[in-house]
Amino acid sequence: MSFREQFEIPAKYKMWSMILMAVGLVSILIGYFLYGAGDEHQNARFWGVLLYNSVYFLLVVNAAMFFICATTLAMGGWQLSFRRVSEAISVAVIPIGIISFVILIALVLGHQHHIYHWLTPGDDKLILGKKAFLNPTFFIVWTVLTIAGWILLGARMRKISAELDERGPLTKEEGKRYVYKTTVWGSLYLVWFALTVASTVPWLWFMSIDAHWYSTMYSWYTFASSFVAGIALMTLFVIYLKNHGYLELVNQEHLHDLGKFMFAFSIFWTYLWFSQFMLIWYANIPEETVYFKHRVQGPYRGIFFLNLIINFLAPLLILMRRSSKRNYTLLVFMSVLILFGHWIDFYQMVIGSISKDHVELNLFDFGVAAGFIGLIMWSAGNALTKRSLVVKNHPFLKESIIHHT
Amino acid sequence: MASLRYESQVREPLVTGTKTYHDVTQDIVRPIEMKPSFLWKVGFTISVLLLLFGVYSVYREVVYGIGEWNLNKTIGWGWDITNFVWWVGIGHAGTLISAILLLFRQGWRTGVNRAAEAMTIFAVMCAGQFPIFHMGRVWMAFFVLPYPNTRGPLWVNFSSPLLWDVFAISTYFTVSLLFWYSGLLPDIATVRDRAREKWRKHMYGVLSFGWTGSTKHWQRHEALSLVLAGLSTPLVLSVHTIVSFDFATSVIPGWHTTIFPPYFVAGAIFSGFAMVQTLLIITRKVLNLEDYITMEHIEVMNKVIVLTGSIVGVAYITELFISWYGQNVYEMAAFQNRWDLSTPYGWSYWLMMGCNVLAPQFFWFRKLRRNLLFTFFMSIIVNVGMWFERFVIIVTSVYRDYIPSSWSTYYAPTIWEVGFYLGTFGLFFTCFFLFAKYFPVIAIAEIKHILKKNGESFKENMVEEERATPEKFAHEHAH
Repeated sequence: MSFREQFEIPAKYKMWSMILMAVGLVSILIGYFLYGAGDEHQNARFWGVLLYNSVYFLLVVNAAMFFICATTLAMGGWQLSFRRVSEAISVAVIPIGIISFVILIALVLGHQHHIYHWLTPGDDKLILGKKAFLNPTFFIVWTVLTIAGWILLGARMRKISAELDERGPLTKEEGKRYVYKTTVWGSLYLVWFALTVASTVPWLWFMSIDAHWYSTMYSWYTFASSFVAGIALMTLFVIYLKNHGYLELVNQEHLHDLGKFMFAFSIFWTYLWFSQFMLIWYANIPEETVYFKHRVQGPYRGIFFLNLIINFLAPLLILMRRSSKRNYTLLVFMSVLILFGHWIDFYQMVIGSISKDHVELNLFDFGVAAGFIGLIMWSAGNALTKRSLVVKNHPFLKESIIHHT
Repeated sequence: MASLRYESQVREPLVTGTKTYHDVTQDIVRPIEMKPSFLWKVGFTISVLLLLFGVYSVYREVVYGIGEWNLNKTIGWGWDITNFVWWVGIGHAGTLISAILLLFRQGWRTGVNRAAEAMTIFAVMCAGQFPIFHMGRVWMAFFVLPYPNTRGPLWVNFSSPLLWDVFAISTYFTVSLLFWYSGLLPDIATVRDRAREKWRKHMYGVLSFGWTGSTKHWQRHEALSLVLAGLSTPLVLSVHTIVSFDFATSVIPGWHTTIFPPYFVAGAIFSGFAMVQTLLIITRKVLNLEDYITMEHIEVMNKVIVLTGSIVGVAYITELFISWYGQNVYEMAAFQNRWDLSTPYGWSYWLMMGCNVLAPQFFWFRKLRRNLLFTFFMSIIVNVGMWFERFVIIVTSVYRDYIPSSWSTYYAPTIWEVGFYLGTFGLFFTCFFLFAKYFPVIAIAEIKHILKKNGESFKENMVEEERATPEKFAHEHAH
């Protein structure tokens, strides 16, 4: 058995990635003329759309590196048959990270106080009290450090993986040393991840939009949302490559496990959603319910329930069955649905806080999202051509070959 | 050929030495067939004495009332609920090991799952005592059961998390017991088949439910395990989630915070693994089971401890940060009552931080993860820390009420409060000693299941597969 190790980007793939990126660019331009040049509220919508789209897709592609590092620390062998796919997706953290950075900085330096009220606190005592955390300098410094940390540590992890291709088969001792080395860098990434995605960053970038409101669950909730979407994205790429005759070592067993991850983390997301919502609803303190008031009882009611239907009910009912996790078509459908569902979740987290009185979800939102999807395709596609699709010398690869779920 | 039993040579074996199937049976069943050792008798006696002291302490409380404890006007929950949460938390490792790690196909669970599941059951038994006796009029305990009754329209309060606790924990206990016992069946049958004495044959015969080891039995057994694992997985999360609701649904500053559910679950697993380490480090030594509960097992569990300890750490710091970020004076005051060392209970907060967040960070180092003495020491530290976590959450959040006139006097437990706690240790260890004497502490059948893949001597036969190129290997073995 020989492997097709070299990925060649199909012309159609390339064309679509370009078209989608073009759609994104055009949408931003049109959006700028429609909203960006308008009054403050329209301006806030323009920037809000850029904010939630860029951060959503950034966290989603970053989840691929989280997946790599978490499975490295857990010494998981099963995922090695598609390891290079996760790596390629994580490359997209670089362009999207830079774009997000530009958008975030533009928000702060452009004094977008309709999004970040804390930029102009006036004599608001609560916001003034938070000044040590909510101030432009800290925001910029922490954003730089966060994104640079993800990019650099991720690059390091990919480099360690690439080194394998240049070497021959590893002996037992070399294998142990290799595993040790990836574990060290993987844990550094995870620690940085815990300090950013699982705590500070969602507070800073998103929660501070409602500058008075707070919820300790917020960051873990954001993490769960982006992680399950990240798994869905990886599944899509794996199935695409598989359908084009690559990834010979991947079979239904691996897809079944990816399906289990999607199922399990959809439930986990729901668990965090419920815990946050129920506790706020139950205690019924106005300072806290202010966040959900217009989402549950106001204009966002439809989106509120849509969120639950797509991200909880659909995975629960559809992915529960064993056969549906082994069915390519259903998995593709569910992956797309989950990616869309959590995009909607991010939409309501950001836009629901910026524009509380009316819901505006139109081609502008979808166009910008399309641009990021094109960018991910372009970036991950290029990354896939750079290296062998099989991590041939990885000590655990053979476990993945005979993997049986 | 999907049935190839191969794993990378880079992984440490899970059964060391040159063991055959027969050796496995022999090694694990031997302690059951021998007379109890002197050490066992000493340990058992101490446990029973502790249990008796506990029974007397509870007797005082039942006869003279809650006044036997030092609970006071703002501290309505003290040691009792602290102990309750602590014991429930400990149980979680067993369920995680038996259910979630089964779904994750972690081979190392086979060495530790049986003892961990037993620990779960005993820990939940201990936990249950506290809310029951805290009722004061314990003979009314059946009031928590919702049934059409003769007390008029008097029903339990369905919107109270305390009632959800009743359901959650009784479900948890039932499923854990079923899981543990159905796993025991093949092993009990093994003990039965080896028995020489008549009474032993009879006793284990009854307990094994007529297990014959036929294919059909195995098939159903495996299916049942998976179903129970599927049921137990949400239970691992739900039980401590609901315990956290006991606090978080309230509007008490320090209790009402949305991160409580997942953070309680992480903390529960953290303390549970520490207790598994405490028990197994002793058990493997006393029963000579070092080949089955290897350093690899100890190390992996230490990894879980550093992971969950760090998750708990992120949660502590999140809580502390948000109490400031929220700029709510009551929240800030509640947290100052914790971190400020000049407050009466400030010391307990830092003890908790030291034991649960800082101390486990030593386990980033492989040498320390594989050091038995250090691991044992750490397992105690973590359990002390986790006890103080609950103490901090409960006592420091309620001892200063909204008006200083109702700030309580310093709360310290009476001897009977401590005695009740010690008594549950007695109960726990009495049960564990009996278990270790009469049941196989390691799942024999499951060890045999992984032996040819993870056993040291069998792994050595895999050298050829290890050397094969991925292409050749895939050609021969991929399915």
